[in-house]
Amino acid sequence: MLEMTDVSKTYPGGNVALRNINVRIEQGEFVFIVGPSGAGKSTFIKLLFREVLPTSGTIRLNDVDILNLTAKEVPYLRRQLGIIFQDYRLLPDRTVYDNVAFAMQVIEAPYRKIKRRVMNVLDLVGLRRRAYSKPNELSGGEQQRIAIARAIVNSPSLVIADEPTGNLDPETSMEIMEIFQEINNTGTTIIMATHDKEIVDSMGKRVIAIEHGEIVRDELNGVYGYESEQ
Amino acid sequence: MSLSSKEYFIRETGKSIKRNGIMSFASVSTVAVSLLVLGLFLLMYLNTDNLAKYLEGQVEMTVYLEDTATGEEVAEMREKLKKMEGVVQVTEVTKAMAMERFKNRLGDQATLLKALGKDNPFPFSFEVQVDRPERIKALVSQVEHWPKVETAKFGQEVVEHLFALTKVMRIGGAVLIVFLCFATLFIIINTIRLTVFARRREVVIMKYVGATDWFIRWPFLLEGMTLGLGGAIIACAVVDLIYVSLSGRLHTTFAFFPVLPSWPTLLYADIFILACGTLIGALGSYLSLKKFLRV
Repeated sequence: MLEMTDVSKTYPGGNVALRNINVRIEQGEFVFIVGPSGAGKSTFIKLLFREVLPTSGTIRLNDVDILNLTAKEVPYLRRQLGIIFQDYRLLPDRTVYDNVAFAMQVIEAPYRKIKRRVMNVLDLVGLRRRAYSKPNELSGGEQQRIAIARAIVNSPSLVIADEPTGNLDPETSMEIMEIFQEINNTGTTIIMATHDKEIVDSMGKRVIAIEHGEIVRDELNGVYGYESEQ
Repeated sequence: MSLSSKEYFIRETGKSIKRNGIMSFASVSTVAVSLLVLGLFLLMYLNTDNLAKYLEGQVEMTVYLEDTATGEEVAEMREKLKKMEGVVQVTEVTKAMAMERFKNRLGDQATLLKALGKDNPFPFSFEVQVDRPERIKALVSQVEHWPKVETAKFGQEVVEHLFALTKVMRIGGAVLIVFLCFATLFIIINTIRLTVFARRREVVIMKYVGATDWFIRWPFLLEGMTLGLGGAIIACAVVDLIYVSLSGRLHTTFAFFPVLPSWPTLLYADIFILACGTLIGALGSYLSLKKFLRV
Protein backbone atom coordinates (compact mmCIF):
# COMPACT_ATOMS: atom_id res chain seq x y z
CA MET A 1 0.00 0.00 0.00
CA LEU A 2 2.86 2.37 0.79
CA GLU A 3 6.23 2.18 -0.86
CA MET A 4 9.06 4.68 -0.34
CA THR A 5 12.12 4.27 -2.50
CA ASP A 6 15.39 6.12 -1.89
CA VAL A 7 13.58 9.05 -0.32
CA SER A 8 15.73 11.92 0.90
CA LYS A 9 14.74 15.31 2.16
CA THR A 10 17.02 18.28 2.62
CA TYR A 11 15.36 21.47 3.81
CA PRO A 12 16.35 24.78 2.29
CA GLY A 13 19.35 25.85 4.32
CA GLY A 14 20.96 22.44 4.13
CA ASN A 15 19.32 20.68 7.06
CA VAL A 16 19.14 17.01 6.08
CA ALA A 17 15.93 15.53 7.53
CA LEU A 18 15.82 12.15 5.80
CA ARG A 19 18.44 10.15 3.93
CA ASN A 20 17.77 7.23 1.58
CA ILE A 21 14.61 5.94 3.16
CA ASN A 22 13.32 2.66 1.77
CA VAL A 23 10.11 1.36 3.32
CA ARG A 24 7.25 -0.92 2.33
CA ILE A 25 4.09 -1.02 4.36
CA GLU A 26 1.27 -3.42 3.51
CA GLN A 27 -2.46 -2.83 3.74
CA GLY A 28 -3.72 -3.49 7.26
CA GLU A 29 -0.40 -3.01 9.04
CA PHE A 30 0.00 -1.05 12.25
CA VAL A 31 3.38 0.69 12.27
CA PHE A 32 5.07 2.85 14.88
CA ILE A 33 7.68 5.38 13.81
CA VAL A 34 10.03 6.05 16.74
CA GLY A 35 13.26 7.92 17.29
CA PRO A 36 14.74 10.85 19.18
CA SER A 37 13.40 14.37 18.68
CA GLY A 38 14.61 15.90 15.44
CA ALA A 39 15.44 12.51 13.92
CA GLY A 40 13.08 13.04 10.99
CA LYS A 41 9.87 11.39 12.21
CA SER A 42 7.76 14.44 11.52
CA THR A 43 9.20 14.88 8.05
CA PHE A 44 8.50 11.21 7.37
CA ILE A 45 4.86 11.69 8.40
CA LYS A 46 4.47 14.91 6.42
CA LEU A 47 5.75 13.25 3.25
CA LEU A 48 2.83 10.86 3.38
CA PHE A 49 0.17 13.50 2.87
CA ARG A 50 2.28 15.73 0.68
CA GLU A 51 2.70 18.54 3.13
CA VAL A 52 6.40 18.19 2.38
CA LEU A 53 7.91 17.07 -0.90
CA PRO A 54 11.12 14.99 -0.82
CA THR A 55 14.29 16.22 -2.47
CA SER A 56 14.66 12.88 -4.24
CA GLY A 57 13.10 9.42 -4.36
CA THR A 58 9.60 8.12 -5.04
CA ILE A 59 6.58 7.56 -2.84
CA ARG A 60 3.77 5.31 -4.04
CA LEU A 61 0.51 5.10 -2.16
CA ASN A 62 -2.06 2.55 -3.32
CA ASP A 63 -0.05 2.30 -6.54
CA VAL A 64 -0.20 6.02 -7.20
CA ASP A 65 2.98 8.05 -7.45
CA ILE A 66 1.98 10.82 -5.07
CA LEU A 67 4.90 13.03 -6.05
CA ASN A 68 3.56 13.32 -9.57
CA LEU A 69 0.17 14.62 -8.51
CA THR A 70 -0.84 18.09 -9.61
CA ALA A 71 -1.92 20.60 -6.99
CA LYS A 72 -5.51 19.90 -8.04
CA GLU A 73 -5.16 16.19 -7.36
CA VAL A 74 -3.70 16.54 -3.87
CA PRO A 75 -7.12 16.98 -2.19
CA TYR A 76 -8.22 13.65 -3.66
CA LEU A 77 -5.11 11.97 -2.26
CA ARG A 78 -5.89 13.37 1.17
CA ARG A 79 -9.43 12.03 1.04
CA GLN A 80 -7.95 8.53 1.19
CA LEU A 81 -6.04 9.49 4.33
CA GLY A 82 -7.01 10.27 7.89
CA ILE A 83 -4.61 12.63 9.60
CA ILE A 84 -4.35 13.06 13.38
CA PHE A 85 -2.14 15.56 15.17
CA GLN A 86 -0.81 15.90 18.69
CA ASP A 87 -2.71 19.18 19.17
CA TYR A 88 -6.04 17.73 17.86
CA ARG A 89 -6.66 20.72 15.50
CA LEU A 90 -10.36 21.04 16.22
CA LEU A 91 -12.61 24.00 15.50
CA PRO A 92 -13.45 25.40 18.93
CA ASP A 93 -16.61 27.21 17.87
CA ARG A 94 -18.29 24.08 16.52
CA THR A 95 -19.88 21.14 18.25
CA VAL A 96 -18.32 17.69 18.34
CA TYR A 97 -20.80 16.62 15.67
CA ASP A 98 -19.96 19.56 13.41
CA ASN A 99 -16.23 19.02 13.80
CA VAL A 100 -16.60 15.49 12.50
CA ALA A 101 -19.27 16.28 9.90
CA PHE A 102 -17.01 19.04 8.59
CA ALA A 103 -14.69 16.46 7.02
CA MET A 104 -17.61 15.03 5.07
CA GLN A 105 -19.07 18.41 4.14
CA VAL A 106 -15.87 19.56 2.52
CA ILE A 107 -15.79 16.54 0.25
CA GLU A 108 -19.42 17.30 -0.58
CA ALA A 109 -21.01 14.14 0.81
CA PRO A 110 -24.82 14.04 0.78
CA TYR A 111 -26.45 15.39 3.93
CA ARG A 112 -28.31 12.18 4.91
CA LYS A 113 -25.20 10.11 4.56
CA ILE A 114 -23.25 12.58 6.71
CA LYS A 115 -25.66 12.33 9.62
CA ARG A 116 -25.71 8.54 9.69
CA ARG A 117 -21.99 8.13 9.26
CA VAL A 118 -20.99 10.79 11.82
CA MET A 119 -23.18 9.18 14.46
CA ASN A 120 -21.67 5.77 13.72
CA VAL A 121 -18.15 7.10 14.04
CA LEU A 122 -18.95 8.97 17.25
CA ASP A 123 -20.27 5.66 18.58
CA LEU A 124 -17.00 4.00 17.72
CA VAL A 125 -14.95 6.56 19.66
CA GLY A 126 -17.49 6.64 22.49
CA LEU A 127 -18.62 10.25 22.10
CA ARG A 128 -22.16 9.82 20.82
CA ARG A 129 -23.59 11.32 23.98
CA ARG A 130 -21.31 14.38 23.72
CA ALA A 131 -22.19 15.06 20.10
CA TYR A 132 -23.57 18.53 20.81
CA SER A 133 -20.90 19.73 23.24
CA LYS A 134 -18.13 22.10 22.24
CA PRO A 135 -14.59 20.68 22.19
CA ASN A 136 -13.35 22.87 25.05
CA GLU A 137 -16.01 21.39 27.33
CA LEU A 138 -14.31 18.01 26.93
CA SER A 139 -11.09 16.50 28.26
CA GLY A 140 -7.91 16.15 26.21
CA GLY A 141 -8.55 12.48 25.60
CA GLU A 142 -12.06 13.20 24.43
CA GLN A 143 -10.82 15.94 22.14
CA GLN A 144 -8.35 13.54 20.58
CA ARG A 145 -11.23 11.12 20.05
CA ILE A 146 -13.06 13.83 18.10
CA ALA A 147 -9.97 14.22 15.93
CA ILE A 148 -9.83 10.45 15.42
CA ALA A 149 -13.50 10.38 14.50
CA ARG A 150 -12.91 13.17 12.01
CA ALA A 151 -9.93 11.30 10.53
CA ILE A 152 -11.82 8.07 9.94
CA VAL A 153 -15.23 9.45 9.01
CA ASN A 154 -14.43 9.27 5.29
CA SER A 155 -13.25 5.65 5.63
CA PRO A 156 -9.61 6.26 4.70
CA SER A 157 -7.36 3.39 3.72
CA LEU A 158 -4.49 4.87 5.72
CA VAL A 159 -4.58 6.69 9.06
CA ILE A 160 -1.54 8.83 9.82
CA ALA A 161 -1.04 9.98 13.39
CA ASP A 162 1.69 12.34 14.55
CA GLU A 163 2.20 11.94 18.32
CA PRO A 164 -1.52 11.44 18.99
CA THR A 165 -0.98 10.74 22.69
CA GLY A 166 1.70 13.39 23.22
CA ASN A 167 -0.58 15.57 25.34
CA LEU A 168 -2.38 12.79 27.20
CA ASP A 169 -1.82 10.90 30.45
CA PRO A 170 -0.86 7.19 30.25
CA GLU A 171 -4.30 5.87 31.09
CA THR A 172 -6.04 8.02 28.51
CA SER A 173 -3.33 7.15 26.02
CA MET A 174 -4.11 3.47 26.40
CA GLU A 175 -7.80 4.15 25.77
CA ILE A 176 -6.90 6.05 22.62
CA MET A 177 -4.72 3.16 21.49
CA GLU A 178 -7.64 0.80 21.93
CA ILE A 179 -9.58 2.91 19.47
CA PHE A 180 -6.68 2.81 17.03
CA GLN A 181 -6.55 -0.96 17.43
CA GLU A 182 -10.25 -1.18 16.64
CA ILE A 183 -9.77 0.93 13.52
CA ASN A 184 -6.85 -1.27 12.52
CA ASN A 185 -9.01 -4.37 13.03
CA THR A 186 -11.28 -3.17 10.22
CA GLY A 187 -8.34 -3.39 7.81
CA THR A 188 -7.25 0.24 7.93
CA THR A 189 -3.49 0.77 7.83
CA ILE A 190 -2.11 2.89 10.66
CA ILE A 191 1.20 4.74 10.71
CA MET A 192 1.92 6.48 13.98
CA ALA A 193 4.88 8.57 15.05
CA THR A 194 5.27 8.46 18.81
CA HIS A 195 7.51 9.09 21.80
CA ASP A 196 5.42 6.90 24.06
CA LYS A 197 7.49 3.93 25.23
CA GLU A 198 4.66 2.29 27.18
CA ILE A 199 2.38 2.23 24.19
CA VAL A 200 4.93 0.89 21.74
CA ASP A 201 6.13 -1.79 24.12
CA SER A 202 2.66 -2.93 25.08
CA MET A 203 1.17 -3.08 21.59
CA GLY A 204 3.79 -5.34 20.02
CA LYS A 205 3.53 -3.90 16.52
CA ARG A 206 6.00 -3.24 13.75
CA VAL A 207 8.46 -0.54 14.82
CA ILE A 208 10.58 1.59 12.49
CA ALA A 209 13.26 3.61 14.25
CA ILE A 210 14.69 6.71 12.59
CA GLU A 211 17.89 8.37 13.76
CA HIS A 212 19.69 11.23 12.04
CA GLY A 213 17.37 10.84 9.08
CA GLU A 214 18.07 7.18 8.50
CA ILE A 215 16.18 4.01 9.30
CA VAL A 216 18.26 2.22 11.93
CA ARG A 217 15.80 -0.48 12.89
CA ASP A 218 12.69 -2.06 11.39
CA GLU A 219 11.25 -4.98 13.35
CA LEU A 220 7.94 -6.75 13.61
CA ASN A 221 6.80 -7.07 17.21
CA GLY A 222 9.28 -4.33 18.01
CA VAL A 223 9.87 -2.29 21.13
CA TYR A 224 10.45 1.40 21.68
CA GLY A 225 14.14 0.84 22.36
CA TYR A 226 14.94 4.20 23.93
CA GLU A 227 14.83 5.38 27.51
CA SER A 228 11.43 6.85 28.25
CA GLU A 229 11.60 10.62 27.91
CA GLN A 230 8.82 11.30 30.38
CA MET B 1 -21.43 21.65 -6.80
CA SER B 2 -24.24 19.99 -4.85
CA LEU B 3 -27.17 21.77 -3.28
CA SER B 4 -25.97 21.09 0.23
CA SER B 5 -22.62 22.65 -0.66
CA LYS B 6 -24.33 25.82 -1.85
CA GLU B 7 -26.27 25.97 1.39
CA TYR B 8 -23.05 25.40 3.25
CA PHE B 9 -21.32 28.29 1.43
CA ILE B 10 -24.14 30.71 2.08
CA ARG B 11 -24.38 29.69 5.73
CA GLU B 12 -20.63 30.06 6.20
CA THR B 13 -20.65 33.47 4.55
CA GLY B 14 -23.44 34.72 6.79
CA LYS B 15 -21.79 33.34 9.90
CA SER B 16 -18.46 34.87 9.04
CA ILE B 17 -19.85 38.33 8.36
CA LYS B 18 -21.74 38.21 11.65
CA ARG B 19 -18.77 36.82 13.55
CA ASN B 20 -16.56 39.61 12.23
CA GLY B 21 -19.28 42.19 12.78
CA ILE B 22 -17.09 45.19 13.46
CA MET B 23 -14.56 44.33 10.79
CA SER B 24 -17.33 43.73 8.27
CA PHE B 25 -18.89 47.06 9.15
CA ALA B 26 -15.52 48.80 8.86
CA SER B 27 -14.78 47.32 5.48
CA VAL B 28 -18.25 48.05 4.10
CA SER B 29 -17.75 51.66 5.20
CA THR B 30 -14.30 51.97 3.68
CA VAL B 31 -15.47 50.42 0.45
CA ALA B 32 -18.44 52.77 0.47
CA VAL B 33 -16.24 55.83 0.97
CA SER B 34 -13.76 54.90 -1.69
CA LEU B 35 -16.44 53.89 -4.19
CA LEU B 36 -18.17 57.17 -3.37
CA VAL B 37 -15.04 59.07 -4.36
CA LEU B 38 -14.73 56.85 -7.38
CA GLY B 39 -18.35 57.43 -8.37
CA LEU B 40 -18.17 61.19 -7.91
CA PHE B 41 -15.00 61.34 -9.90
CA LEU B 42 -16.55 59.23 -12.61
CA LEU B 43 -19.45 61.66 -12.87
CA MET B 44 -17.08 64.62 -12.88
CA TYR B 45 -15.08 62.95 -15.61
CA LEU B 46 -18.16 62.12 -17.66
CA ASN B 47 -19.32 65.71 -17.38
CA THR B 48 -15.98 67.26 -18.32
CA ASP B 49 -15.78 64.85 -21.18
CA ASN B 50 -19.25 65.86 -22.19
CA LEU B 51 -18.35 69.54 -21.89
CA ALA B 52 -15.22 69.02 -23.91
CA LYS B 53 -17.13 67.22 -26.61
CA TYR B 54 -19.75 69.92 -26.55
CA LEU B 55 -17.12 72.63 -26.95
CA GLU B 56 -15.30 70.64 -29.56
CA GLY B 57 -18.57 70.26 -31.39
CA GLN B 58 -18.87 74.04 -31.32
CA VAL B 59 -15.78 74.37 -33.38
CA GLU B 60 -16.53 76.08 -36.64
CA MET B 61 -14.84 78.16 -39.26
CA THR B 62 -16.21 81.32 -40.75
CA VAL B 63 -15.71 82.03 -44.46
CA TYR B 64 -16.09 85.73 -45.34
CA LEU B 65 -16.94 86.52 -48.96
CA GLU B 66 -16.08 89.57 -51.00
CA ASP B 67 -19.00 91.89 -51.67
CA THR B 68 -18.61 91.27 -55.37
CA ALA B 69 -19.72 87.67 -55.11
CA THR B 70 -22.93 87.07 -57.06
CA GLY B 71 -25.88 85.00 -55.90
CA GLU B 72 -24.85 82.21 -58.22
CA GLU B 73 -21.30 82.17 -56.92
CA VAL B 74 -22.61 82.08 -53.35
CA ALA B 75 -24.85 79.11 -54.12
CA GLU B 76 -22.03 77.30 -55.87
CA MET B 77 -19.70 77.89 -52.96
CA ARG B 78 -22.27 76.62 -50.49
CA GLU B 79 -22.55 73.35 -52.40
CA LYS B 80 -18.78 73.07 -52.61
CA LEU B 81 -18.40 73.61 -48.86
CA LYS B 82 -21.07 71.05 -48.08
CA LYS B 83 -19.28 68.41 -50.10
CA MET B 84 -15.98 68.90 -48.28
CA GLU B 85 -14.91 66.09 -45.99
CA GLY B 86 -15.74 66.58 -42.33
CA VAL B 87 -18.21 69.40 -42.91
CA VAL B 88 -21.31 68.83 -40.85
CA GLN B 89 -23.32 71.93 -41.46
CA VAL B 90 -23.11 75.12 -43.50
CA THR B 91 -25.09 78.16 -42.37
CA GLU B 92 -25.39 81.32 -44.44
CA VAL B 93 -25.14 84.66 -42.70
CA THR B 94 -26.23 87.40 -45.02
CA LYS B 95 -25.02 90.97 -44.71
CA ALA B 96 -28.34 91.95 -43.19
CA MET B 97 -28.24 89.12 -40.65
CA ALA B 98 -24.71 90.06 -39.64
CA MET B 99 -25.86 93.62 -39.09
CA GLU B 100 -28.80 92.41 -37.03
CA ARG B 101 -26.52 90.33 -34.81
CA PHE B 102 -24.22 93.24 -34.28
CA LYS B 103 -27.14 95.41 -33.34
CA ASN B 104 -28.29 92.87 -30.81
CA ARG B 105 -24.86 92.65 -29.33
CA LEU B 106 -24.65 96.42 -28.95
CA GLY B 107 -28.03 96.46 -27.25
CA ASP B 108 -28.70 99.94 -25.82
CA GLN B 109 -25.92 101.44 -27.86
CA ALA B 110 -27.40 100.29 -31.18
CA THR B 111 -28.07 103.93 -32.07
CA LEU B 112 -24.37 104.27 -32.82
CA LEU B 113 -25.04 102.36 -36.03
CA LYS B 114 -26.99 105.30 -37.38
CA ALA B 115 -23.65 106.87 -38.21
CA LEU B 116 -23.20 104.21 -40.87
CA GLY B 117 -26.21 105.44 -42.80
CA LYS B 118 -27.32 102.94 -45.41
CA ASP B 119 -23.92 101.35 -45.68
CA ASN B 120 -23.57 97.80 -44.41
CA PRO B 121 -19.90 97.08 -43.82
CA PHE B 122 -20.48 93.49 -42.80
CA PRO B 123 -19.51 90.87 -45.33
CA PHE B 124 -21.59 87.89 -46.36
CA SER B 125 -20.31 84.78 -44.59
CA PHE B 126 -20.70 81.04 -44.20
CA GLU B 127 -20.48 79.46 -40.77
CA VAL B 128 -19.14 75.99 -41.34
CA GLN B 129 -19.48 73.29 -38.64
CA VAL B 130 -16.87 70.60 -38.73
CA ASP B 131 -17.05 67.15 -37.13
CA ARG B 132 -13.53 67.14 -35.67
CA PRO B 133 -11.52 70.18 -34.61
CA GLU B 134 -8.27 68.84 -36.04
CA ARG B 135 -9.75 69.06 -39.56
CA ILE B 136 -10.26 72.77 -39.43
CA LYS B 137 -6.71 73.89 -40.14
CA ALA B 138 -6.60 72.03 -43.44
CA LEU B 139 -10.05 73.24 -44.45
CA VAL B 140 -9.20 76.84 -43.74
CA SER B 141 -6.03 76.82 -45.81
CA GLN B 142 -7.95 75.28 -48.69
CA VAL B 143 -10.93 77.59 -48.62
CA GLU B 144 -8.79 80.74 -48.21
CA HIS B 145 -7.55 80.43 -51.75
CA TRP B 146 -10.93 80.16 -53.41
CA PRO B 147 -11.96 83.06 -55.64
CA LYS B 148 -14.25 85.62 -54.04
CA VAL B 149 -13.24 84.52 -50.57
CA GLU B 150 -12.04 87.39 -48.47
CA THR B 151 -10.74 85.33 -45.53
CA ALA B 152 -11.47 82.11 -43.70
CA LYS B 153 -11.02 82.15 -39.92
CA PHE B 154 -11.26 79.90 -36.93
CA GLY B 155 -10.44 80.19 -33.22
CA GLN B 156 -7.20 78.32 -33.62
CA GLU B 157 -5.72 78.93 -30.19
CA VAL B 158 -8.89 78.24 -28.30
CA VAL B 159 -9.42 74.99 -30.14
CA GLU B 160 -5.90 73.81 -29.59
CA HIS B 161 -5.90 74.66 -25.90
CA LEU B 162 -9.20 73.00 -25.42
CA PHE B 163 -8.00 69.97 -27.23
CA ALA B 164 -4.93 69.69 -25.01
CA LEU B 165 -7.07 70.18 -21.91
CA THR B 166 -9.61 67.49 -22.76
CA LYS B 167 -6.81 65.09 -23.55
CA VAL B 168 -5.19 65.70 -20.17
CA MET B 169 -8.56 65.27 -18.47
CA ARG B 170 -9.29 62.03 -20.23
CA ILE B 171 -5.90 60.51 -19.45
CA GLY B 172 -5.80 61.94 -15.93
CA GLY B 173 -9.33 60.71 -15.29
CA ALA B 174 -8.58 57.21 -16.45
CA VAL B 175 -5.41 57.11 -14.32
CA LEU B 176 -7.27 58.35 -11.25
CA ILE B 177 -10.04 55.79 -11.71
CA VAL B 178 -7.52 52.98 -11.99
CA PHE B 179 -5.74 54.30 -8.93
CA LEU B 180 -8.94 54.44 -6.88
CA CYS B 181 -9.86 50.93 -7.99
CA PHE B 182 -6.52 49.71 -6.69
CA ALA B 183 -6.96 51.55 -3.41
CA THR B 184 -10.36 49.92 -2.92
CA LEU B 185 -8.92 46.55 -3.85
CA PHE B 186 -6.21 47.03 -1.27
CA ILE B 187 -8.76 47.73 1.46
CA ILE B 188 -10.78 44.62 0.58
CA ILE B 189 -7.67 42.46 0.44
CA ASN B 190 -6.76 43.55 3.94
CA THR B 191 -10.21 43.00 5.37
CA ILE B 192 -10.60 39.56 3.87
CA ARG B 193 -7.08 38.74 4.98
CA LEU B 194 -8.24 39.41 8.53
CA THR B 195 -11.22 37.11 8.18
CA VAL B 196 -9.07 34.48 6.52
CA PHE B 197 -6.54 34.90 9.28
CA ALA B 198 -9.25 34.48 11.88
CA ARG B 199 -10.25 31.27 10.14
CA ARG B 200 -6.83 29.98 9.15
CA ARG B 201 -7.18 26.90 11.38
CA GLU B 202 -10.31 26.03 9.53
CA VAL B 203 -8.59 26.53 6.18
CA VAL B 204 -5.69 24.31 7.22
CA ILE B 205 -8.02 21.59 8.51
CA MET B 206 -10.04 21.78 5.32
CA LYS B 207 -6.86 21.21 3.35
CA TYR B 208 -5.96 18.20 5.52
CA VAL B 209 -9.31 16.52 5.09
CA GLY B 210 -9.12 16.92 1.33
CA ALA B 211 -11.19 19.99 0.46
CA THR B 212 -10.46 21.39 -2.98
CA ASP B 213 -9.16 24.94 -3.20
CA TRP B 214 -12.37 26.13 -4.80
CA PHE B 215 -14.46 24.62 -2.01
CA ILE B 216 -12.39 26.56 0.51
CA ARG B 217 -12.48 29.70 -1.56
CA TRP B 218 -16.22 30.06 -2.16
CA PRO B 219 -17.34 31.25 1.28
CA PHE B 220 -14.54 33.83 1.33
CA LEU B 221 -15.32 34.97 -2.20
CA LEU B 222 -18.97 35.34 -1.29
CA GLU B 223 -17.98 37.28 1.80
CA GLY B 224 -15.76 39.63 -0.19
CA MET B 225 -18.45 40.10 -2.82
CA THR B 226 -21.09 40.79 -0.19
CA LEU B 227 -18.92 43.38 1.53
CA GLY B 228 -18.05 44.97 -1.82
CA LEU B 229 -21.66 45.02 -2.94
CA GLY B 230 -22.81 46.41 0.42
CA GLY B 231 -20.33 49.26 0.20
CA ALA B 232 -21.27 49.86 -3.42
CA ILE B 233 -24.99 50.15 -2.61
CA ILE B 234 -24.28 52.81 0.01
CA ALA B 235 -21.94 54.62 -2.38
CA CYS B 236 -24.58 54.55 -5.14
CA ALA B 237 -27.22 56.05 -2.90
CA VAL B 238 -24.96 58.89 -1.79
CA VAL B 239 -23.59 59.54 -5.28
CA ASP B 240 -27.11 59.71 -6.71
CA LEU B 241 -28.26 62.11 -4.03
CA ILE B 242 -25.27 64.40 -4.46
CA TYR B 243 -25.53 64.40 -8.23
CA VAL B 244 -29.23 65.14 -8.39
CA SER B 245 -29.01 68.07 -5.99
CA LEU B 246 -25.78 69.44 -7.46
CA SER B 247 -26.82 69.23 -11.09
CA GLY B 248 -30.07 71.00 -10.27
CA ARG B 249 -28.16 73.84 -8.67
CA LEU B 250 -25.62 74.05 -11.50
CA HIS B 251 -28.44 74.24 -13.99
CA THR B 252 -29.99 77.25 -12.36
CA THR B 253 -26.67 79.04 -11.87
CA PHE B 254 -25.00 78.37 -15.22
CA ALA B 255 -27.68 77.76 -17.78
CA PHE B 256 -25.13 77.33 -20.57
CA PHE B 257 -23.22 74.57 -18.79
CA PRO B 258 -24.18 71.29 -20.39
CA VAL B 259 -24.74 69.05 -17.33
CA LEU B 260 -25.47 65.41 -18.19
CA PRO B 261 -29.06 64.49 -17.21
CA SER B 262 -29.49 62.23 -14.14
CA TRP B 263 -31.23 59.64 -16.30
CA PRO B 264 -29.55 57.60 -17.72
CA THR B 265 -26.17 58.93 -16.54
CA LEU B 266 -26.72 57.82 -12.95
CA LEU B 267 -27.86 54.40 -14.10
CA TYR B 268 -24.53 53.88 -15.84
CA ALA B 269 -22.61 55.25 -12.89
CA ASP B 270 -24.52 53.00 -10.47
CA ILE B 271 -23.97 49.91 -12.58
CA PHE B 272 -20.29 50.77 -12.76
CA ILE B 273 -20.03 51.27 -8.99
CA LEU B 274 -21.94 48.07 -8.17
CA ALA B 275 -19.92 46.02 -10.63
CA CYS B 276 -16.70 47.56 -9.34
CA GLY B 277 -17.59 46.84 -5.69
CA THR B 278 -18.56 43.23 -6.33
CA LEU B 279 -15.64 42.50 -8.62
CA ILE B 280 -13.12 44.14 -6.36
CA GLY B 281 -14.59 42.21 -3.42
CA ALA B 282 -14.18 38.90 -5.21
CA LEU B 283 -10.72 39.72 -6.49
CA GLY B 284 -9.61 40.91 -3.06
CA SER B 285 -10.74 37.66 -1.43
CA TYR B 286 -9.09 35.61 -4.11
CA LEU B 287 -5.79 37.39 -3.70
CA SER B 288 -5.76 37.34 0.09
CA LEU B 289 -6.53 33.61 0.14
CA LYS B 290 -3.69 32.73 -2.17
CA LYS B 291 -1.08 32.55 0.54
CA PHE B 292 -3.23 30.57 2.95
CA LEU B 293 -4.13 27.91 0.44
CA ARG B 294 -0.55 26.79 0.02
CA VAL B 295 -0.61 24.03 2.64
